[in-house]
Amino acid sequence: MSGLAYSTRRFTFAAGHRYWVEEWSVAENGRIFGRLTVPHGHNYTLDVTIGGSIDERTGMVIDLSELKRIVSETVVERFDHADLNADPLFRTQVPTTENLAIAIWELLAPKLGPDRLQRVRVWEDPTLYVDYDGP
Amino acid sequence: MSTTTAPSGLALTRVYHFSAGHRLANPALSDEENARLYDACARPHGHNYYVEVTVAGAVDPRTGMLIDVGRVDEVVQQAVLGRVDHRTLESVPELAGVITTGESLARAFWRILAPALPPGVLRRVAVVETAKNRFAYEEGS
Repeated sequence: MSGLAYSTRRFTFAAGHRYWVEEWSVAENGRIFGRLTVPHGHNYTLDVTIGGSIDERTGMVIDLSELKRIVSETVVERFDHADLNADPLFRTQVPTTENLAIAIWELLAPKLGPDRLQRVRVWEDPTLYVDYDGP
Repeated sequence: MSTTTAPSGLALTRVYHFSAGHRLANPALSDEENARLYDACARPHGHNYYVEVTVAGAVDPRTGMLIDVGRVDEVVQQAVLGRVDHRTLESVPELAGVITTGESLARAFWRILAPALPPGVLRRVAVVETAKNRFAYEEGS
């Protein structure tokens, strides 16, 4: 009997963005995105969930301080107080919450291992979040 | 970044709020039986409810969006929140015949929202009755 356990750690970062597609006219951007075309920002909350079997020696799925270090270096330092539209990751895609969740997964999966990384949840604000469980 | 492909595990959740009165009672039972079955919940009371609507699907590579959240807001406002906010749930025509437990409300809201949203996008409806009670409803696609 070996069940799986899940550990989730929460992170926060503040970032600015706007919804804008360069190839579109001002009118088209306005029609599709409305007031989201205006540069604005959010206090994002990021929940990173790691799953796996419990290491019987340590009693842990993952050392949460290791998780903290990896996510801080890879995601928080990159996006905190940053303009998301200026990040190379969002040069060709709109920094929506959906794309941000996918981008964070793709940044973290190589460092944490896609088998260990269970879910990335990005809260744009307390009323909206996106879950990405991988491809 | 292979984000233009259709990711399978993507879901967006929006959290809404309404306040309403209700009581738990099966109209087929006597007042005494309802009181025994539902205890304090059989008395008229109310809650600050939260409704979580989860939609799933792929990102439109042009817009970066899974769905137009503004459109979801309009649907939920029109079809659910506008009908139940600051009302007694037992008097809401759309909830006729529903015993207004959290799980039954979640199922009733699912049945209202699924046909009002783009086909197949609704993944889950959750009703948070109090900080201690949370109910979710899903149907296979």
